[in-house]
Amino acid sequence: MSFFGKLKGGSTQTQANNAATAKKDLNAPVPTPLEKHLADVSGPVRPDGSDKYFGFENYGSTCYCNSIIQCLYYSAPFRENVLSFPSKPFLESLAEELARSESNGKPSNGAPLSPRSMSATPYPNVSSPARKQTVPGSPGPGGVVKQEENKDSPEFRKKLALAAGPVLDMTGDNSVKYGMDESLFTSLKDIFEAILGNQSHIGVVSPHKFLEILRRENEMFRSAMHQDAHEFLNLLLNQVVDNVELFSKQHPMLTQQPQPNVNGGAPETGLAAAMSSAVAGAQQVGNGLDTHWVHDLFEGTLTSETRCLTCETTSQRDEAFLDLSVDLSAHTSVTSCLRKFSEEEMLCERNKFHCDNCGGLQEAEKRMKIKRLPRILALHLKRFKYTEDLQRLQKLFHKVVYPFHLRLFNTTDDAEDPDRLYELYAVVVHIGGGPYHGHYVSIIKTQDRGWLLFDDELVEPVDKAYVLSFFGGEPVPGLQDARQLACAYVLFYQETTLEAVLKEQEAEGQQPLESRLSTTDTAEGLSPSKGDLRQTQTVTTPLGEAMAGMDPIEHAYTTPMEILHSPVLRPPFDHQFTTPGISPVMPAKSKKEIKVEEKERKAKEKADQKARELAMKERSSKRVEAYKREQEELKRIMEESKASAVEEARRRGDEAPMEKGEKGGLARFRHGSMSLRAKPKLFGKEKERVPQDGAEKLAAVPQGQASTTTDAGRITQDFAPKAAESSSAAVEEKKLKNRFSLGRKKSALM
Amino acid sequence: MFVLPPPPRYPNGNLYTGMPGGGSLLETNNTLEHPTGPEYQLVVGEGTYVLRDDLHLATPPPHPSDAPQPNNNPLATTIGLPTAGTKLSIAVIAPRRPPAQNLFRTQTAQSARSNLPPSIQEETQSPRSDAGSATNGFGSASYYSHQPTFGDNNPALQPAPVKGKKGDQRAKPKNNIVKSNSSYVSRVIPHEALQKRLTERSPDGMFAFANVNRALMWLDLASDVKTENMTKVLFTKAHALCHDVNEFTKSSTHLDVILGFNTSDIIWYEPVSLKYARLNKNGIINPSPISTILWIPNKENLFLAAHTDGTLVAYDKEKEDAEFVPEEASPVENGHSNGTHIHRFHIKKSIQSRNQKTNPVAVWKVSNMKVNSIAFSPDGQLLAVVCDDGKLTIFDYINERVLDVYRSYYGALLCVTWSPDGRYVLTGGQDDLVSIWSIADSALVARCVGHHSWITDVKFDPWRCDERNYRFGSVGEDCRLLLWDFSVGMLGRPKPMSVRNRGSVSSHIPMHRVESQSTVSRLRSNSSLTQADGMSGEREEVVHPVETKASTAVLPPVMSKIVDKHPLSWLGFQEHCIITSCKDGHIREWDRPKEGAGDGESTTAGSGM
Repeated sequence: MSFFGKLKGGSTQTQANNAATAKKDLNAPVPTPLEKHLADVSGPVRPDGSDKYFGFENYGSTCYCNSIIQCLYYSAPFRENVLSFPSKPFLESLAEELARSESNGKPSNGAPLSPRSMSATPYPNVSSPARKQTVPGSPGPGGVVKQEENKDSPEFRKKLALAAGPVLDMTGDNSVKYGMDESLFTSLKDIFEAILGNQSHIGVVSPHKFLEILRRENEMFRSAMHQDAHEFLNLLLNQVVDNVELFSKQHPMLTQQPQPNVNGGAPETGLAAAMSSAVAGAQQVGNGLDTHWVHDLFEGTLTSETRCLTCETTSQRDEAFLDLSVDLSAHTSVTSCLRKFSEEEMLCERNKFHCDNCGGLQEAEKRMKIKRLPRILALHLKRFKYTEDLQRLQKLFHKVVYPFHLRLFNTTDDAEDPDRLYELYAVVVHIGGGPYHGHYVSIIKTQDRGWLLFDDELVEPVDKAYVLSFFGGEPVPGLQDARQLACAYVLFYQETTLEAVLKEQEAEGQQPLESRLSTTDTAEGLSPSKGDLRQTQTVTTPLGEAMAGMDPIEHAYTTPMEILHSPVLRPPFDHQFTTPGISPVMPAKSKKEIKVEEKERKAKEKADQKARELAMKERSSKRVEAYKREQEELKRIMEESKASAVEEARRRGDEAPMEKGEKGGLARFRHGSMSLRAKPKLFGKEKERVPQDGAEKLAAVPQGQASTTTDAGRITQDFAPKAAESSSAAVEEKKLKNRFSLGRKKSALM
Repeated sequence: MFVLPPPPRYPNGNLYTGMPGGGSLLETNNTLEHPTGPEYQLVVGEGTYVLRDDLHLATPPPHPSDAPQPNNNPLATTIGLPTAGTKLSIAVIAPRRPPAQNLFRTQTAQSARSNLPPSIQEETQSPRSDAGSATNGFGSASYYSHQPTFGDNNPALQPAPVKGKKGDQRAKPKNNIVKSNSSYVSRVIPHEALQKRLTERSPDGMFAFANVNRALMWLDLASDVKTENMTKVLFTKAHALCHDVNEFTKSSTHLDVILGFNTSDIIWYEPVSLKYARLNKNGIINPSPISTILWIPNKENLFLAAHTDGTLVAYDKEKEDAEFVPEEASPVENGHSNGTHIHRFHIKKSIQSRNQKTNPVAVWKVSNMKVNSIAFSPDGQLLAVVCDDGKLTIFDYINERVLDVYRSYYGALLCVTWSPDGRYVLTGGQDDLVSIWSIADSALVARCVGHHSWITDVKFDPWRCDERNYRFGSVGEDCRLLLWDFSVGMLGRPKPMSVRNRGSVSSHIPMHRVESQSTVSRLRSNSSLTQADGMSGEREEVVHPVETKASTAVLPPVMSKIVDKHPLSWLGFQEHCIITSCKDGHIREWDRPKEGAGDGESTTAGSGM
């Protein structure tokens, strides 16, 4: 850090400034597709945040986080609950208190834009890819030409988005104002508040603090490695639950004392908002402070019915889930995957069931059905599967189709509202050839602006048909189409009603012209020359990295730019260009000015060349080292998992052959695919071994997240209590980490 | 950023290594295989269907001017040309009853169907009986005898058919497709011995037309050299999404084929003389792609195109295009709002319009979303329309009235078909369900559970249907063919879930209500069908609610099998075989069980007699 700090001289700042303005100048006359899409937005921003379209900055492989947070933000009930917890009266009284004690109370929404320097801990990866290479083009005569080529690349447009701003640097922490301890929840709330508090409709959020807390508390997210978006979703929801519950324990008064409906004040539009306010309102009137809202939104109940084949006794057990992980097979639909999830399975051989009635291990039939339907159904498609012969996780490209609407077939007979209608509102897409690298983006339906693509910093309107273009499918040999690498990974369905759907369909027909217009605008915005669109768009950064394989030189070339634009340089395009309203169009500059700037820039470039080379060497050697380390780490993990896989295989006996079968392999251990909040209580025997409250505790411990997937639960339980006791012990942690990734492997295996 | 091993694995190495431009001009040939083994057999109650031929139609490479460029952007928003997979239509020239006319057979496939008296059905098919015969066995069709067919009571439309007819001579399109210099048509490759093949073939043999992306292939499935196209037409950039052969005008010297394209253009093509005409040129009448196109039953000239903007347009093949301006002043002609169930049906141009000099003949807006498929009832009186919004609309297109609107369990409906007797409609869709709808009872009969993915086509097997028992098949994205049996007795009467919906379909014209009512009930009882209940007041468009899981009968399949490596796109039942086609161009013919081999006489036979 210090090394690079020295390298950036005072001059670099102006240079960056110049570069930024030069680029803006080049692109200023062309509004982005999003700006065009929002051109008719007028009036003040809505108080509920439904008309904010902010990108999220990527700090190197943090797209898993960005894509999930976006999906949560655009769930109206989730957003509102985050914003209204703790309730307003509480916050007001707290603010008064703070003001009295410190006598310098800030407005409760003021802090998000606090300067970066406030952050105490250094970030593992301070510079996001989009901030790199702010000097357009590579050094040399070809630079300008290259820039022209890249004009339509997502990479370039991300940089533009970042440059256009406003950029909300989430480095501060407002947890004190919420009367809470600093946690993932408070930093998430900070982000939401900051988006709401900003007067612009578009912009970029830099979720520093959030990542900092995430990495501080969860070792597995600490590395710059590619992370699993679904695991992150599960962790985040669990943490929010824990944070909220902890708060309610700290403030027992609030939970009893009835509070006025906090949602009452904000004028709400749209069905989702109305629904949420109704539900939230009802609960808040009932028991004062609602701490159960995450459960109310995401949690459903599964009933596992196990019928002992010896004594014919059927035992039932209910388990809560926050999302459902379903196994995939080629050419299926999510409906079919869900059906399969609930198909009957035999517990036999090494997997026998401990029957309380006959008192022993018996063969049994087991099936899992949904007893309570969640209001938001998060469906995780298990695309990452452990393959025995390759001995590592592999991405499944199976074509799995998903419709815009869904109902569940696998409900119990006594389920409430078993025909509940769901609508697809968000899709998290994984792009890449394997589980260890790649990129995540999300495509989300907004309240009144149709479907938008959120690719880190970049937010763009997309056609409705585009949403259904990520079914997957085995890559066709020889077909050079990168779209084959993008498949839906997590699907978010939210409850809706037929009436709402009809209304929407009606509305769709009333503005056919407008929507058609906007789509053509989009197409034009994406590429000035329509025919060239496909070839001119280049690889996105993360994909590029995935594709580039392990060529260190590739990386070395891009790294020097990092030096030039490390955090200190941020101010030029941070708040400086923050413009209220939606079109941050830069004042046009004369050609002369551009030329001068260009000259300056080139001179600077040359001067920096040397420094860059130096840095490059340094970096590349570091990189090689780090790379080696990572590789070793990975190797060890692999070996561990291999060993445990063998052990698993031994324990299960028939697993390996099942794997080969056309059908059986996937369906076999289906029960494991459900993601559970608490440790699963699968079989009688195990239930006895691990006391239930221990399991609860485990869930509260960050490292205990290993147990969030059922399968992992079974493996981790042997040491899980230990972990709960001494989660701080580094050795234990290490072990857990490995175990965790093992759990992942297990979950993918099933 | 670290990129960790292992590197991505692709079946064919790196997707991003440059490959010599894909646009080679090489014309690939169709191939024929005869795979055998248990995985190529379908075992059903009546016997075993065996795969006879696996004909792989060569998917044409994109036009050189439109060669696919390497795309490095995984999020590219340009969605490639739409493809409908391989869709077939089968035409048999011989004056043989098409399956749909083979109704109420008391025997099953094994029996000598050719011995059946030709009976009245023949008449329906013959050009003379445009208006339908007096009693043809269709419960609901009988009284149509005194009803007009499409456009008959519009004098403005009358001259057209007369003009077209010169003795037996059918009107041909104007342009020669081989000599055409239109940039729309890229190449035409007629077989070198086309005329010889045409004259030497038996009229009983099946012709097949298949649209595969930018190609239309004409095949003779009865030929020894069936891999050799009779004619292959390649279009430049447009993908043919659907086509239809006119059953009414077909002869050994004349076939009217109509094609619908993703570019919204329509081509009327006569393959024997290699002539063609282009309609809705550059989308002058409607600019959206065409998902389904069908000749209007028993009409020489008129056909109906389902555009993806939710519009149905009736065209006359011989009329010129003219820019279309909606004629109806009021946007909601037949709109009906039932609480929050809003359904809009707009007549943008009525068939009764006096302005019939140019196309379109009629324009109806049936949905705000894409129309996925349409199907005419066997008697030609009703039209079933399924859309992306999940609606099944039963449409009296002759009188331009919507009768019933049903909804899928969830998601879009993708395919629709009628039972041979017109009493039931099947739909398949994104809910992985085949739904059986009773037209007489205006109700959902059963949902058929068994597919693993979306259903792309569904058809009845008329050779295995009788008065009470029905056999149908469905194919889907799951590469599976499923066969289903249901009988009236088995399922019982549909539950009277919504009493208000029990009106009959039949009372189309309010002014004739009393008369038609009595006619219908008499005929119904005569034909020993499940009679409809008395008419319920003024017949209005009825929007039916979605039935719950709990209230609906569930039908399991009698056979489910993966019959292809690729998602299937089309299904057809023929006298001697079942034909499936997949999105990759495989056409598979599954021979019906051999005579006598499966004598166990089937589940369907006899039980209702």
